[in-house]
Amino acid sequence: MAIITEGAETISLDGGRKARGNLTKARIRWVIVALLLGFATVGGRLIQLGATVTDSTIEGVERDVITASRPPILDRNGLEMAVDIRVPSLFAEPRRIIDVEEAVQKLRTVLPELDEDWLRKRLTGDKGFVWVKRELTPAIEEKIFQLGIPGIEFVTESKRFYPSGQEASHILGAVNIDNQGTMGIEKHMDDDSLALLQSIGLARGNEMTPVNLSIDLRVQHAMYEQLTDAMTRYKAVAAAGVMMDVKTGEILALASLPDFDPNNPSTLFQDYNGVKNDRFNRITSGIYELGSTFKTITMAGALDSGKVKITDQFDARFGVRFGRFTIDDFHGKHRILSVPEIYKYSSNIGTIHVMQTLGKDDFRAFLTKIGMDQTVPFELPEMRKPKVPDKFSEIVAATSSFGHGLSVSPLHMVRAVAAFVNDGNMTTPTMYKRSEAEARQTYVSVISPTTSAEIRYLMRLNALEGSGTRMNKLANGYRVGGKTGTAEKVVGKVYSADKTLAVFASAFPLDDPRYAMVVLVDEPQNENPQSGHTAGWNAGEVTGRIVQRVAPMLGISPDFSEMLDSNLVPVELR
Amino acid sequence: MIKMLNAIMVCTSVVGLVGVYALKYSVEDIATAKVSLERKIDRQEGELSLLKADWSYLNQPAHVAPIVARHQEALALVPTSQEQFGRMDNLPMRPAAPDPAALDALLSSLDAGIDPIQQLIEAN
Repeated sequence: MAIITEGAETISLDGGRKARGNLTKARIRWVIVALLLGFATVGGRLIQLGATVTDSTIEGVERDVITASRPPILDRNGLEMAVDIRVPSLFAEPRRIIDVEEAVQKLRTVLPELDEDWLRKRLTGDKGFVWVKRELTPAIEEKIFQLGIPGIEFVTESKRFYPSGQEASHILGAVNIDNQGTMGIEKHMDDDSLALLQSIGLARGNEMTPVNLSIDLRVQHAMYEQLTDAMTRYKAVAAAGVMMDVKTGEILALASLPDFDPNNPSTLFQDYNGVKNDRFNRITSGIYELGSTFKTITMAGALDSGKVKITDQFDARFGVRFGRFTIDDFHGKHRILSVPEIYKYSSNIGTIHVMQTLGKDDFRAFLTKIGMDQTVPFELPEMRKPKVPDKFSEIVAATSSFGHGLSVSPLHMVRAVAAFVNDGNMTTPTMYKRSEAEARQTYVSVISPTTSAEIRYLMRLNALEGSGTRMNKLANGYRVGGKTGTAEKVVGKVYSADKTLAVFASAFPLDDPRYAMVVLVDEPQNENPQSGHTAGWNAGEVTGRIVQRVAPMLGISPDFSEMLDSNLVPVELR
Repeated sequence: MIKMLNAIMVCTSVVGLVGVYALKYSVEDIATAKVSLERKIDRQEGELSLLKADWSYLNQPAHVAPIVARHQEALALVPTSQEQFGRMDNLPMRPAAPDPAALDALLSSLDAGIDPIQQLIEAN
């Protein structure tokens, strides 16, 4: 081969077979190119299809989020307090609507409340999805389906429903239209974990594990009913109550009037008798000078320090002078009083002497010990910080000993009373079901069991002989004891004698304390000309009626034996 | 040989074609059935949620209390007072039951003409 081609131009001739072969090769090459082009087109189209993002949101909200569900809320016995119902919501896809005018007219035959111009504007344009009307009934859904308008469709939304209506409004709170908690335990659940669950898609359209609250709906109902009754009976401007299990810290009932309808959350912002923003939760976010109910705290602190003994006597003959002011007694006895008498007659003078024996700094330290100067650790988000001066002057310490000059929430008070009767073990209140063993881990000992026994005696004594007798008459047999407080309200800058806040802080049954309760009635009037306006007549009676109703439900049987009361008397006084 | 092979392959592909199409259509049918079932489940779940809400509403103390109040007079309903509660150990002991055997014996002896009381009187 090398010899032939060397130095000469070669003439090459292809045979017929080879020429055909070359032609075939060329054809195959063209076919390959054509095929490659074809596949490239298909591939390109595939990529194009894959890259287009279809907008599945409705006005910026993912459909998944719209159908997000919330766990049912049950009371401690399993009765529903909040459930999800599935409701159809109407939306439109304007770019798919052919005849806007026809759609508007047809829709308005079923939903005449929709504004014609608004609807027309809404349905014209090139938008993907727009809401027309949310949360309709299945009957309306059926009617609109039968109209057969193209581009008008339904999505099933979860809507929160509160079967108990207003009765547990402040406990449950409310949700917004996107099913997110805005208040109460609903908001707490969101802040806690639910929002996370929803965001990772675990809470969508599925049944969720129900949440058990500590509330007993029967007790809640009884309390709500009695408070409503108190509002009319005493022509009060507000009333509130809270009941707590002293051993577990569970809140059994919590009600505050005026209230709102959680099924229609905007009612929260309605004026009540011309007063703005009056429908707040008075138990957690209301702070008050709780008046003489504070004497229980002063007594507990003083008796526990050992500086004051239950057998001591104090001179209550003369008012206590602080510069220009003289503090005197409301039901003045003006004689030497023993410690139980000071409590029973609610003597301001005596209580000041008791506090002074304890020492004002020790008294202030005791308030810190029982959590009076901090927000109570609690699940409801509506909390307000109490107002307790950091350092007590002589006069502030004196007024504080009977509950003036410092403001705490009723929740603080019920927690303190619960601790005093529960052998001095203070726990944190909770809205969720909790066993006693779990609660024990939160126990902080604030007073000794001996002092606790003395406080129980004092509280029972006040019910038998003091300002709680009207209460005791109603709740006879249930061994209730408690302290009244009639705090004068500050009107302008001075204390008003006729605008008062009546409080009753109680516990029952005192031979084996299970429940503590605080009831307040704001600005009560005399029920009739013969009755008084102090706390025993209103807050006390309300407490009595509530206990009478709920004690049997809570498994406390009435016992009239006087042995139980005489057993409460400390050995030194027998 | 090659013809034979071709025939087999044609047959296989026809069978394959028919099979694949049959599968496709059956899958489509099942998918439609699934969607309609899902719709049905969804609708029933919605109805169920409404029924559940209704049930819990009707069971609320807030709902029952007005009904009780309405029929209070007709049914003479009043709240239970403390005195109405009792305990088992507060009940008095059961009185001694009469002795039926002794009574039967007395009656049969009377029937037989023997009066035990008369006998007692006579004995004294």
